[in-house]
Amino acid sequence: MTNVSLFSPWARQTLNWAVTVGSVILCLMVLPARLPGMELLGIAPNWLLIWVVAWSLKRTALQGALAGLALGLIQDGMTSPHPTHVLSLALVGILTGRIQKQRYIQEDFISVALIVFGMAVVGETVTAIQYSFIGDRNLSEIWTDHQRIALSSAILSSLWAPVVYYPLNRWWEQINSIEQS
Amino acid sequence: MRRWWDRHGVAIVLGGVTLSAAWLLRQTQGAALFETYQLITRPFQLGPTKEERLTDSRVLELRQRLVELESQNQKLKDLLSYAKTTKQQGTVAPIIGRSADHWWQHVTLGRGSKDGIKVGSIVMAPGGLVGRIVSVTRNSSRVLLISDATSRAGAVISRSRSMGFMRGQGSNRAVLQFFDKVPDVRRGDAVSTSPVSQLFPAGLAVGRVESVNLDKSPAPEAIIELTAPVSYLEWVIVYPENNL
Repeated sequence: MTNVSLFSPWARQTLNWAVTVGSVILCLMVLPARLPGMELLGIAPNWLLIWVVAWSLKRTALQGALAGLALGLIQDGMTSPHPTHVLSLALVGILTGRIQKQRYIQEDFISVALIVFGMAVVGETVTAIQYSFIGDRNLSEIWTDHQRIALSSAILSSLWAPVVYYPLNRWWEQINSIEQS
Repeated sequence: MRRWWDRHGVAIVLGGVTLSAAWLLRQTQGAALFETYQLITRPFQLGPTKEERLTDSRVLELRQRLVELESQNQKLKDLLSYAKTTKQQGTVAPIIGRSADHWWQHVTLGRGSKDGIKVGSIVMAPGGLVGRIVSVTRNSSRVLLISDATSRAGAVISRSRSMGFMRGQGSNRAVLQFFDKVPDVRRGDAVSTSPVSQLFPAGLAVGRVESVNLDKSPAPEAIIELTAPVSYLEWVIVYPENNL
């Protein structure tokens, strides 16, 4: 890691962005795949949500919202823009950015997993509410689906969250500490 | 102003670039992503195993008999001066991915416009109808499954010709709403697409009636178990629209 500190500031910035964008692309590539052990009732972890939480944990609400907006647009493209994923992911970004982690929660796997669990439920609820407003599905069907999807997605996402969070967090910490010194 | 720009300029430019890239991906339906995904998963797309080959040959035999019977049927129809239909060969495509979101029942196929797949093409599998192509890139395409809640199709009970329309209900179930007040339907009846369906050709096998609820308002309903085992499928066959 000492190599990184020897780079010029511009090269470091570029490398930082390449790693960040690369991690997003990696998440996008895993999204349609169903690898063994990553599936519960046909539902896979919500990788983009995990990424947004990992990004927003040590950033402001505005930065969280922007990340949610960008990833939401991409997911809209990959599935369908009605209802949009922008709302749920942006809300997750804002909420995660606003949590006062230093005051309430320790910085460890368990708390990250818990935050992801909560945020997955919030995100799926936002989607379900949008479906209720669109009105092309039956209300009772939407909320039965919501229970099934929210619970399995929350459990799986929170279990897989450290896989995304740990390396990214380490990398960003490293870059930050170099820039501060 | 200048100092403010010096401080925030980079962040604003980078944010703008990110958002426009995301917007571009959304407008192109993530075409670049699915192409990359297809490229990455190519080494993992296995060919058929020995057991599958045996089943395949059995299927082939049955299919040849079916072709024989169909051509006989066609001849008889010709004698009765029925409208003639042409038959086309389908494209075999591997399933390389599932839905990128839990609310949608999609699958991604590893063949695209290069192999002649178009939006609206019909997707079949062992067991019957699977869905319809909704977007195509050069080497991949996306299928909206008939089990998706937004997927609707005209359906008919093969035995009694009671008609209705069908909408998906996630995983491998669908609900068939009848047009008649008192439809002639029983548990275990075969269901196929009806001639009034505009998206699908008539007479494709869809599923079996699992339970019937005649008291349901506003129209009687039946729960259908779809016969194509979508969650286990690895290969499907894509037919051009209206050419089945």
